[in-house]
Amino acid sequence: MMWVSGGFIFRKGTSVYHRLDPRVKLLNSALMFATVLLVRSVYELVGVMVFMVAIAVVAQVLRRVGRTMAFTGAFSAVIFVLNLVFTGSIATSLLYAVRFIAIVISTSLFFITTSPDELEQVMKTFRLPRDVVFAFVTAVRFIPVMLLDTIQIMDAQKSRGLELEKGNILRRVRNMIPILIPLVVNSVVRSGELAEAMESRAYGAVPHPTSLVEYRASAMDKVTALLAVVLFAAAAYSFYFIFPAKFP
Amino acid sequence: MIELQHVTFVHQNGVRALDDVSVRIESGETVAIVGENGAGKTTLVKHVTGLLKPASGTVLVDGKSTTEMTTAQLSRKVGVAFQNPDHQLFSESVDEEMSFALRNFGFSPEVVEQRVTWGLETFGLEEYRKSSPLVLSGGEKKRLTLACILAWDPEVVILDEPTVGQDSIQKEKLAQTIGMLGAAGKTVVVVSHDIEFLWPMQPRVIVMKAGKVVGDGPAPIVMQQKELLDSARVAEPQLVALYQALATRPDSPFADALDARRWVEGRRAAG
Repeated sequence: MMWVSGGFIFRKGTSVYHRLDPRVKLLNSALMFATVLLVRSVYELVGVMVFMVAIAVVAQVLRRVGRTMAFTGAFSAVIFVLNLVFTGSIATSLLYAVRFIAIVISTSLFFITTSPDELEQVMKTFRLPRDVVFAFVTAVRFIPVMLLDTIQIMDAQKSRGLELEKGNILRRVRNMIPILIPLVVNSVVRSGELAEAMESRAYGAVPHPTSLVEYRASAMDKVTALLAVVLFAAAAYSFYFIFPAKFP
Repeated sequence: MIELQHVTFVHQNGVRALDDVSVRIESGETVAIVGENGAGKTTLVKHVTGLLKPASGTVLVDGKSTTEMTTAQLSRKVGVAFQNPDHQLFSESVDEEMSFALRNFGFSPEVVEQRVTWGLETFGLEEYRKSSPLVLSGGEKKRLTLACILAWDPEVVILDEPTVGQDSIQKEKLAQTIGMLGAAGKTVVVVSHDIEFLWPMQPRVIVMKAGKVVGDGPAPIVMQQKELLDSARVAEPQLVALYQALATRPDSPFADALDARRWVEGRRAAG
């Protein structure tokens, strides 16, 4: 489980990509996401994925992105089979299946290189309500904690003779009850405790609290953002005018 | 019998949690594992329960490697009460919670009922039989998890930080229970920072530091090695500190004061 989570959770890094302004990283991911939606053939999609893998190499997160791909591979296989059943076209099914992986990679590149604190600042720049920002960022911050909780709960229940990998699918689902109940109860208790701790530290005392961080885009950030926009425009142009591939 | 032979375990983040650990715990022994946070105590325990498998080396429980058994199979022999009781409580009532493992092991309904009643009475939880385990206090939850483990009568009982959230009376009861388990021939492994709780039991003490076993021996010997304890960030028992302060002279009346009970009896006998 921790192996899979490594493909989605932020860890500190020192790469050039990690050091970019989080707003630029968000722009990059958003444009990659849009490009993935624009592609109309598997070949174009493979080209976009190669580009994303190149970014993962620069960001020194290739191995973790590989985990993301491995994890989403299972869902992608389901998408492929369902599409094959309903459309009968291997090319279309393959396009949707690979597109799903590409979408996940584009978003995971942002989340695994952007800390929750940076995420908070990005959301603030969009002038989202403070409570919404806090709730979202806290949820992101608590994902690793909940994963750890899940592992500890599974350990505790396995030590009481619970066999999670045994039985038919119904039994396996039923076996998840001793895992899910403590997990949910712990999360609710923890959120209550967090709310009390925040209030006791004056959360909400003033409508506009001061911020320690002010982002200013560096030359590197500006060049990267410009390059991302140019590449996106070039890709979109080529998809529709230079190589107007027949859908799919 | 539990035996770890040159066990090494490395976490995914590269931290070497166990580093060539070799320990042998005989049946019926009472062992305390102490050491600073992150020393590898819980990791060691998880290897005994089969929750973790060694990267290298072998863990044997009754001569059988833990890699050959699932945790569920091993748990019939090795019962472990983890540090945080909130990680295991999920049933609608306390008696159902207690019967969970018993049913997993296939005990008959009569035996389940009998053992649940025994556990609730032994740990003072009878009045909460039909209450939700989630509404119990921290100390009560801790006692319930311990009762849950002892209910299926495992040969090895591992207690991870059993005294957290317990008042002095409950600690005393817990010490009595551990003594009772020891007398019944059970192997008891207690992982704890609570040295004052461990000391009166006079267990064999294993001191861990940075994934290695740095000290191992009877409590009266290990607990007097101040340098060892300091390096592993383990506080010496107050009685040991007092003894070392008072019994430095050979003719000191406190020369045999390290065993408090024997010393008091000796003074009484001497009038």
